Amino acid sequence: MKIKVPMYVAKPAELKAIGFSYTSESDQRDLAIKVMAELRNSMRSLMVMLETCTKCGNCARQCHSYLGTEDYNNFPAARAELLRRVYKRYFTWAGRIFGTFIGAEGFDEDTLGKWLTYFYQCNECRRCARFCPFGVDTAEITIMARHILSELGILPRFMQGIALNMKNTGNNMGIPKPAIMDSAQFMEDEMREETGLDIKIPVDKPNSDILYIPSSADFFTNVDTMLGVAKMFHVLGANWTIPSTILEAANFGLLFNYQVMRSHNLRLQQAARDLGARLVVQGECGHGWRAAKMYTEGCNGIFPFGLVHILEYCAAHLDRLRFKRLPLRVTLHDPCNYTRAGGVIEQPRKIIRACVEEFVEMTPNREDTFCCGGGSGILMDEMMDIRLKLGRKKVEQIQAVGDINYLAIPCSICKAQIPAVLKHHGIEKFEMGGVMDLVGKALVFDK
Amino acid sequence: MGMIMVKGRQIEVDEDGFIADPAVWNEDVVRYLADIEGVGELTEKHWKVINYLRDYFKQFGIAPMIRKLCKETGFSLKEIYELFPSGPAKGACKLAGLPKPTGCV
Amino acid sequence: MLFFLGHIFPYITITVFLTGMTWRVLIWLNSPVPFQLTLFPAPQTFTGRVMSIGWEIISFESLWRGDRILWLWAWLMHGSLAVIIVGHIVGIYTLTLEFTLIGLSPGASSALSAGLGITAGIVCFLSLMVLFYRRTAIDEVKRLSDPVDYFVLLLLLAIVISGMHMRLTSLNIDLTAIRSYLAGILTLHPIPIPRTWIFVSHFTLVNILLLYFPFSKLFHGAGFVVNRGMLTEKPPIYPTPATRAGEARFS
Repeated sequence: MKIKVPMYVAKPAELKAIGFSYTSESDQRDLAIKVMAELRNSMRSLMVMLETCTKCGNCARQCHSYLGTEDYNNFPAARAELLRRVYKRYFTWAGRIFGTFIGAEGFDEDTLGKWLTYFYQCNECRRCARFCPFGVDTAEITIMARHILSELGILPRFMQGIALNMKNTGNNMGIPKPAIMDSAQFMEDEMREETGLDIKIPVDKPNSDILYIPSSADFFTNVDTMLGVAKMFHVLGANWTIPSTILEAANFGLLFNYQVMRSHNLRLQQAARDLGARLVVQGECGHGWRAAKMYTEGCNGIFPFGLVHILEYCAAHLDRLRFKRLPLRVTLHDPCNYTRAGGVIEQPRKIIRACVEEFVEMTPNREDTFCCGGGSGILMDEMMDIRLKLGRKKVEQIQAVGDINYLAIPCSICKAQIPAVLKHHGIEKFEMGGVMDLVGKALVFDK
Repeated sequence: MGMIMVKGRQIEVDEDGFIADPAVWNEDVVRYLADIEGVGELTEKHWKVINYLRDYFKQFGIAPMIRKLCKETGFSLKEIYELFPSGPAKGACKLAGLPKPTGCV
Repeated sequence: MLFFLGHIFPYITITVFLTGMTWRVLIWLNSPVPFQLTLFPAPQTFTGRVMSIGWEIISFESLWRGDRILWLWAWLMHGSLAVIIVGHIVGIYTLTLEFTLIGLSPGASSALSAGLGITAGIVCFLSLMVLFYRRTAIDEVKRLSDPVDYFVLLLLLAIVISGMHMRLTSLNIDLTAIRSYLAGILTLHPIPIPRTWIFVSHFTLVNILLLYFPFSKLFHGAGFVVNRGMLTEKPPIYPTPATRAGEARFS
């Protein structure tokens, strides 16, 4: 690769540790074509989306990545072109015969470098699909391009590190079981100190009805989210547990390789089966919700358990919870994977309205929300410059809301990205956290 | 992956400057990394945090919850940022020779 | 030459057009959809899906929500094209007397038919010109465009211009002869093509378009339906034996 890419790339030894291998440069082209052919035969979306762009350009002004970075290749149709041109050259008659006249181009020495650079500047937020007349979804094309790259052994070190942790411990942070137990104990102690009640965080409790899957970040930085959930389950008298084998709502496989996604997803089924749960409840994680809700069947077949998101669960049980409204003016950041890709749109609003005195909407919101800029795992420190640009539209939205006390961010990646971007802009005058955090703070206990 | 020279010894670090092998950690490494991180002079407070992190990591194989770190050392999160400008995860953990916390952080 | 263009070429183009379109759609439908790509908010029922896809076809709503100027000219182009195509079928078949069915006199019907045709033709011509200009004037679109994107606009313009020429200099156009010729083609009993050069040009250009259609981005109509079909699919219901047990899985 001749192009200088903006992130650290996983080295051969690191790849090996997660079962991947680096393809030599002379073999890369043929393997890439082979993987594309496999994807073409197993997924309709690749063909239809790559073959249906009329180059109208409506997507340009709607993509926060393009608007923030002002880099032509980040404009959705242009980003898709990086893959489309190669696809046309090897998989369409018109492309084979007419070449660049119809927009077909073979691999050159910069192709894979450009793919790595630009398909990791797409946040897979699907906003372009809302404005494309045909619904061409650049997120889908990005997922496939990243998969092709990973099969060649080309992926960011950040992804590799997380995949390795997942393989070793069942969560992205690499938290081993004894640490999980210690942290759960600590959180129980904190809640006892705060409420005087014996609120439990049961780990690996057999014969539980509910299997709750937190984000591992809830066991490191976003503790209030976990506390809010535990308190809610306590008030509802739920028979719940969290699994130590998969303490992770996220599924980074969705973000770089389909087979890795399948193996992460399989853990979910196994955990539910092993602990005898009837209902799986996913925690505050955006892409993890999308992967669980929309990809489970395709990954591992029948999933004989209920599956809901914690915000769906909480909103459905609001009438059984009592709150003392917090004196806060709160706005909500809609994670892309909840609204456009996951169907969780009204629930966070319902919950926030029950917990606080004043709720204001950002504009645009719901299915037209702008991505925070960290979506699809773009949380690499070495890419901070780019992350700041990707987050520009979101910052503008937040500033436009006016004075607030709390910014509700119900997704772990967004919780990591937004504070970093706001700090850079010198905006640190309000609290930020999840929606379940507010539940935990506003909940009233009867005894 | 790169190398840093600490008092004549070559220590391997990753691209983010975290030492690759926790076993080679010693006080000289800490002072070297403190210079790079802009931490300034290492006070008793710094060492309290660093030693807590080391002990927890030895016992549990991972960095502690940030809230627990604050509680056990008695420092607020703000104070920890004052001691280690890059914060508990990227600053204190680096000096304590822990692997860099990764994931959605 | 005229024999080829009149007797042989149309059959080649119709065959290529029909088999090409069918073939491509079948290749698409033959590839499974292992993961539902529902774009929320999505309709809950089959009728809802049809309505949502239908509404987008009629209104071009996604363009309206995005770039209003693009919406205007794209909508006008497609709309006038639709009017022209329907007008051709109805007008040639009834020899411009279609409006006698709603009580107009033959003369008035012909005049209305001509009027609608000319208006549609002018609107189509104008919108194609604006879209062509747009493609050269907006930086991102210009950079994104391949030579073929201009080629297709020029081909359409040539068809519209040649058609308008026939309409605006209609003294030499024998509609009855054209109708007989087209009927001959469709009933597989071809007769010699009318020797009016403007008709032959227009007809040949249309045939070239038909030949070109299945291999080009003009196929976006089919892409629209198949893709939006995927985006409006209902999400899985858990526990999943309720939905697609045993169906396509990614491997």
